[in-house]
Amino acid sequence: MSTTQMLKGIIDGCLLAIIYEKEVYGYELAEKLEQYGFDSFSEGTIYPLLIRMQKEESVSSTLKKSTAGPKRKYYTLTPKGEEELQQFIARWEKLQSNVNLCLRKQ
Amino acid sequence: MNQGLSKKSQTFLENLRLYLFSNGKDEKEINAIVEELEDHLMEAEARGKTVDHIVGESPKQYMMQLSNEMTTDTKTWVKYIIMILFGALSYSVLTNAVKGQLSYSLLEILGSIMISLIFIIAIRSLFKYVAANSLSKRKEFALFYVIGLLPIALFVGLFYSNRLIETPIFHFGSIGTLLAVLLTLVFLIGMSLWTKSWVMLIILALLVFPDFLFRYIDVGPESQLILSTIITFGGIALYLFANQKISKQSTNE
Repeated sequence: MSTTQMLKGIIDGCLLAIIYEKEVYGYELAEKLEQYGFDSFSEGTIYPLLIRMQKEESVSSTLKKSTAGPKRKYYTLTPKGEEELQQFIARWEKLQSNVNLCLRKQ
Repeated sequence: MNQGLSKKSQTFLENLRLYLFSNGKDEKEINAIVEELEDHLMEAEARGKTVDHIVGESPKQYMMQLSNEMTTDTKTWVKYIIMILFGALSYSVLTNAVKGQLSYSLLEILGSIMISLIFIIAIRSLFKYVAANSLSKRKEFALFYVIGLLPIALFVGLFYSNRLIETPIFHFGSIGTLLAVLLTLVFLIGMSLWTKSWVMLIILALLVFPDFLFRYIDVGPESQLILSTIITFGGIALYLFANQKISKQSTNE
């Protein structure tokens, strides 16, 4: 299984967590992911996800003037998004401990 | 606007716009994602990354991913289909009405509708194909040329088969013709208000106006041809020029 396949679903949770920390725009978000070590996929991958998350109303966006040229789209979490983040954290912790148990038993 | 952007990135953004448009995506959503990616690409390129780093190995697949998440807005395409269908119909009604009373055979009516639909489907598939596959400029041009010729060839075919095959003919009479012209004009004005663009009305007026003029002014056939060409194409060129100036000014603001 490739990393990309494993990441599906997990990336959504990471995006929520980053947006929760601070209001960000697309490039910042991609850069943060890269800093955290997710460098195996292309930066553009976040945009289809962001579009979906906006449709599901877990994030909302506002246009703000930027210093360089056109208006920039900034993302924030909605209450629904915060709830989803909490659920993701709980699910991840359970999953992580389960996986760790499996691996240590071997 | 995107002066700083590399040619490759610009091409990608243009292709993405075309691809999403051909897939019937919502216009506002298309503009939003293209602007967002433009901003991203600018910042990425300033830091020495290329478009491949953002889009991945297959631009086609990336375009599909985006397209799948976006809202399909059938209204946009219905708008274009109506515009093309009725634009062709309006042209036919107006040019024929200027010359006299209207009459159409059943074959002409059905044939024209079929040809318009075939043309719309063909151009839509072509847009999608060109956007998703990076073709050479020559290949692209050849494809557009062939698809552009398609309706002309089909109309010529229709013209001759209309002579060979007899189908019922609908005569409009003088009142019918007047009514058809009035309906067409109402439709054209309504359409222009709906789409907020006067391009269709202006181009049609320029195409029909010379014929209308020659009913009242007596000039030889040669000067007619020259005059009508000057009026029609000069007028269209002038309109496009003025239009471009206006849109340039509004983007500079």
